[in-house]
Amino acid sequence: MRIDEFKEMIYACGRCNFCRGSDFNERCPEVFTQMWESSTLRGRMAIARGILEGQLDYSDEMAERVFGCFMCGRCREECKKAAQIDAIAITKAMRADFVDKGVKIPEGGANMADTALDSGNIFADPPAVHSKWADGLTFTEGSGTLFYPGCLASHRFKEKTKILVKVLQAAGYELDFLGDDQKCCGTPLWISGKVEKAKGWAEDYLKKLNARGVKEIITPCPSCFRAFDEEHPHLLGLEEFPIRVRHTSEVLEEIVDKKKLKFEVSIDKRVTYHDPCEIGRYREMYEPSRRVLSSLPGVELVEMSRNREEAFCCGGGGGVKIMYEDHSNQVAEERIKDFLATEAEVLTTICPACEMNLTHGTYAADVEARVLDVAELMAVAAGIADNEILEPDYFPED
Amino acid sequence: MVDSKKVTKLLAEVVGPKRVTDKDFDLISYGRDLSPAKQKLPTHVVMPETREEIQQILAIANKNDTPLYIRGGGTSHWDAFLPQEPGIMLDLGRMNNVLEINERDLVATVQPNCTWAKLDEELRKKGLTYLCSEAGGPAMTVGGSVMKAGGGPHSTAKFGFHGNQDVITLEMVLPNGDVVQTGSAAWPSAGKFERQCLGPDLAGMFLGAEGILGVCTELTLRVRPAVDFKERMSAILPTLDDVVEFGHFINRHVGDEYLQGIYLWVAPENPELFFIMMDIFGYEAEIVEHRKKRILEKIAELGGEIADRAPADDYYDRILTGLTDLFTAGVWHFFGAGSLRIDDIKFLYRIWREELLEKRGYTKAGFGGQVLPRRWLAFMVTNYKEPEEWGELVKMADEIDELTLNGPVVPYGVGGRDGLRQFVASHDTGYYRLLKTLKKTLDPKNILQRGIFIPEEELQ
Repeated sequence: MRIDEFKEMIYACGRCNFCRGSDFNERCPEVFTQMWESSTLRGRMAIARGILEGQLDYSDEMAERVFGCFMCGRCREECKKAAQIDAIAITKAMRADFVDKGVKIPEGGANMADTALDSGNIFADPPAVHSKWADGLTFTEGSGTLFYPGCLASHRFKEKTKILVKVLQAAGYELDFLGDDQKCCGTPLWISGKVEKAKGWAEDYLKKLNARGVKEIITPCPSCFRAFDEEHPHLLGLEEFPIRVRHTSEVLEEIVDKKKLKFEVSIDKRVTYHDPCEIGRYREMYEPSRRVLSSLPGVELVEMSRNREEAFCCGGGGGVKIMYEDHSNQVAEERIKDFLATEAEVLTTICPACEMNLTHGTYAADVEARVLDVAELMAVAAGIADNEILEPDYFPED
Repeated sequence: MVDSKKVTKLLAEVVGPKRVTDKDFDLISYGRDLSPAKQKLPTHVVMPETREEIQQILAIANKNDTPLYIRGGGTSHWDAFLPQEPGIMLDLGRMNNVLEINERDLVATVQPNCTWAKLDEELRKKGLTYLCSEAGGPAMTVGGSVMKAGGGPHSTAKFGFHGNQDVITLEMVLPNGDVVQTGSAAWPSAGKFERQCLGPDLAGMFLGAEGILGVCTELTLRVRPAVDFKERMSAILPTLDDVVEFGHFINRHVGDEYLQGIYLWVAPENPELFFIMMDIFGYEAEIVEHRKKRILEKIAELGGEIADRAPADDYYDRILTGLTDLFTAGVWHFFGAGSLRIDDIKFLYRIWREELLEKRGYTKAGFGGQVLPRRWLAFMVTNYKEPEEWGELVKMADEIDELTLNGPVVPYGVGGRDGLRQFVASHDTGYYRLLKTLKKTLDPKNILQRGIFIPEEELQ
């Protein structure tokens, strides 16, 4: 079993329950949605230990406890204080064990991985449809700097993605784009436990990128960012990925630091920022977006009570959105309460999955506010996008 | 033998199907606590949300002769809340609300699974605090602490174990389903403001009973204005005799002690180094300054030296949010622990040093304690690796417990068969006989917490 590799960590759980925190809604979105002790990291370690000792078997019914984890890393962050258990690695291994053993996994997860493998993206878009967001934009093949939007930004957020590219290009970045040749980064494979073809996927991708002369990847998606920067080298047995990978938060920060754009349009909004788990807790990239927002004229940046390493998940992580949508929406609504408490007018973040789920959260909570990418505010301040996109009654065509 | 499916159905009729589980992967999460007690699995877990649901669950347990065990935050050190026999686990997690904060009377009413961290957060919004004493982290619950009469390194300094002075009223559901209010709440038209009120103090019967006499469904606690000053100190005292003298010194002003927290730590690699961390108490800056001056003078008189304050700040600041590096060297066990007179700390220290470190060569356990108010709560604590060191550690800890409890040390926490109940049972005292009588009277079928505190055979 794949969890054998983590035996020492599993046995290190001292059952302190720091992972759960002081209330159901405080830290862990899984215990918030599923309630049982078995939904916490402490509970999952008890389950894992039971499996290692032959006391339990993976089962269809158990799947919700393992695949219902949002992989937000909040428990792992807390466990840094206590036992340094890598909750994410163990959860991924458990999911893969489900698949290896032929135990049924949630249909949404299985389908997502199969769809990505078959069609090249998680939405089963034909390539021309998937890259339609880029209509009207010009890219430079072979520039060496690949703009890689990922499935969600391509399919769901056409306008936002277009605005982001305009910002980057206005700042002088000469971007390449794979166009119809773009395929999913592979995240659905390890999220769903269907890792059998992941290594081959990574090998093929690296060949493709090398053949195109890619020296750097810029992506707005934290999952894609981590896929190339962490998962692919791990799968390929490399210490590091041979191509530089940057999330747009770093690039936007660079635009500010190097004064690559002038910001002359005042935003005039009270704004808050939601930390995406995969660049926040996973990579400790808390400050770049804040520095960008603080540099824009007319932005009053206020923090939600739970921020940075203590930020509550948006509900979009771990594939839960596609496997247990009700849980996902419940978490988004809870996070929207944090937003409302700030009395901010705009909720920003810098992750397509967070943007989608938090937008759904505003619908569920009947809140009139826009969830915007940090790049969209930068675009308004730089005069690249009209400030109407900041208004709650604005509906993008996509 | 529990008819599992039948009980599942009955429980679901009370709480609905979503709040009861008999799935093996759910049950296993309730099988351990923080101690090395062996895994003990319940047959069901049920999550009530009201007193009335608990009454109905107790009725099911009684009718089906199925033991009922109580779960708070699951952070007990004493095997006190694990199912000693197959039975229903009552997870009180959903009963975790702060019901009322009465700023005029300085009392707060909470449900049992309200965590200390949650209560403190609400109190501080109003400039109040409880000054929780336990260092169990964010998941530890008010009900769990009070029902085991827990204590710790902070504020017990001034206010004693949980329940010693600060519990005003309790609402308990007895094993037969009757609901009992204690203190002033026993007089329904009066309110919740006083512990010792109408006749005997029945709250005292439940505090520290580890749930064997009733299920706590509500507590009213005394709270107090938050202290604005943080004045922490660390020091090293030359000898244990000096620690004892210092303990007497800070205890002399009964009810108005200098400190609200003191923690002694002696590391096994340096058993002659007596390190203490202190948190000075006072509502006014002048009082805090005066106390600090007096403490500094006393430490100087004893030949001690002031150490870096940072460890004390870190320690006291993290009591509610979680101490660091707890399990880096393995999981935890507290043993050789209990309450004892200030002068008797030397007895426990000798056991630690001679029996543990020197005779048995076990050099991973440290020695620590708190000396307020007017007694020690002292312990030995170690980290160990499961599963490889588990059996040997338990055997050694049992030997040390026996030596300790044959001396002037009263057990802190009793628990089940892997706890200290065998030591209590072996002392056939009037106290123990009365407790058994109470248990038999209130719980004739021994439904509640069967096997906890009192072995089942002692009640037959």
